[in-house]
Order: sequence, then structure tokens, then C-alpha cells
Amino acid sequence: MDELHVAVVERRVAALDVAAALDFVGDPRFGGIATFIGRVRDHNVGRVVTGISYDLFEPLALRLFRAIGERARAEVGAPLKLWIAHAKGDLAIGDLAVVVAAGTPHRDEAFRACRLAIEAVKHEAPIWKQEHYVDGDSAWSEGCSLCEEQREAERLDHAGHAHGH
Amino acid sequence: MKIRIALYGALREADASGRVELEVPAGSSIAELRERLAAHLAGHAPAIPAGLVRRCAFASAEEILHNHRAVPEGVELAVLPPVSGG
Repeated sequence: MDELHVAVVERRVAALDVAAALDFVGDPRFGGIATFIGRVRDHNVGRVVTGISYDLFEPLALRLFRAIGERARAEVGAPLKLWIAHAKGDLAIGDLAVVVAAGTPHRDEAFRACRLAIEAVKHEAPIWKQEHYVDGDSAWSEGCSLCEEQREAERLDHAGHAHGH
Repeated sequence: MKIRIALYGALREADASGRVELEVPAGSSIAELRERLAAHLAGHAPAIPAGLVRRCAFASAEEILHNHRAVPEGVELAVLPPVSGG
């Protein structure tokens, strides 16, 4: 669908472009735009973070972003323009990691589409975050399993607990 | 048959080339390939936590391949550790 824009952007080549996202989802039919912007922060779980590297399995990630777009469209049941872009490579503190923008006729639809899309990107897309710390150490984040048996086991295990990421 | 598997995230550290090649019998399932990969990594990359492969998914460029699926022939697969985008 041409009302969906999905992208993986290598940080060395360009930064994610919020203005372009807002422009893309704007439409005379739409009175509501919701955005989520994820930025690299300088700490995690008590450790000082100096940067992040993102690794992606790009063909599957792009395919999944499109599938998420279709799911959001079905879910909100209203006209929708959606932008999903994720950064790849080495990011510094303050760099944009992910931009999701949703344009719809009304705010409720925009908020719902945006929320659905960012949660799905975080929990389902083949993307991996490696944090670099001030002491020179690095670590891959724990993350969500995409293996169905494992997901089910972890879902039961985490029942009643807040999702930490 | 020979299966090439691309490594991502924490599993990249298992092999500097970013890939492993495994030999599995034709008609093997993804669950069998998973066991084969776990055994390979235990021997070749002991720094990788033993439980990690159990939490990984296997995929082609088109889709996630769950445990019951047959390993496709002549297709490079990817092994996907738990994801942490955003």
C-alpha cells in the first residue's frame, strides 16, 4: 500500500527524519497525527551508556514492518498513513533509534495505530541492540524470543509482571 | 545437505564470518537443525550461553520458520536471538 512507508536507515548514511515522517502521514482527510520517537539514552539498568549499535536482519524486518502496517490498518478501521523507520549501525546518545508516525482522521485512531506499531516493532521485528558502556564493556540486550514455544513459556512465566522493555 | 545460517545479534560473536555451515539429513525439521546448531556452538563457541539457541527463532528472508517446519533446501537461513529493537 502506498500509504505505508517502511525503512531501515544506516546511521553512517543518514539520521532518521521526523519532518519527512510528519510530511508523509499528513493528509487533508486527517485531523490527527501521533508519533513515537525513540532516542538513545545515556543509562540503562544503572549503567552509564555511551552508545548503541543496532543489528537488523533487514529483508525480514522490512517485511514485518509492512505486515505491522496492515495489522494497524485493520485494527483502527479508519483511513491511515503510517511511517515506520528504524536506525541501523552505530548510534550516539541522543540519536534517533526509531520513528513511528500515524496519520488518521481522529486522535484516538492515530494514538492506537502508533502504539500498536511501536509495540510490534519492539517485540517482533528482527532487530538487536548492543549497548556500549563507559567502562569499555558492551552487552547485547536480553530481548523477546521469536520462537513460538519459547514465547509461550515466557508469557506464562511473566504473567502478572510488567514488560521491562 | 549443507545449510548456511547467518548469525545476528549476540550470536554474531560465535563466528567472525557471521555465518555457520551445518550438515543435516535431507528432510530434517527446524527443531533438529536447532539441536545441531546448539551442539556446533557448544564445541566451537563456548562463550555463547548454552540456553541462547533454545530462545532463538530460525527464519528465511520471508518468514519465521517454526520448529515443526522442514529445513528448506538451498536457502540461506538466519538464526534470530531474542529481539530488542526500538
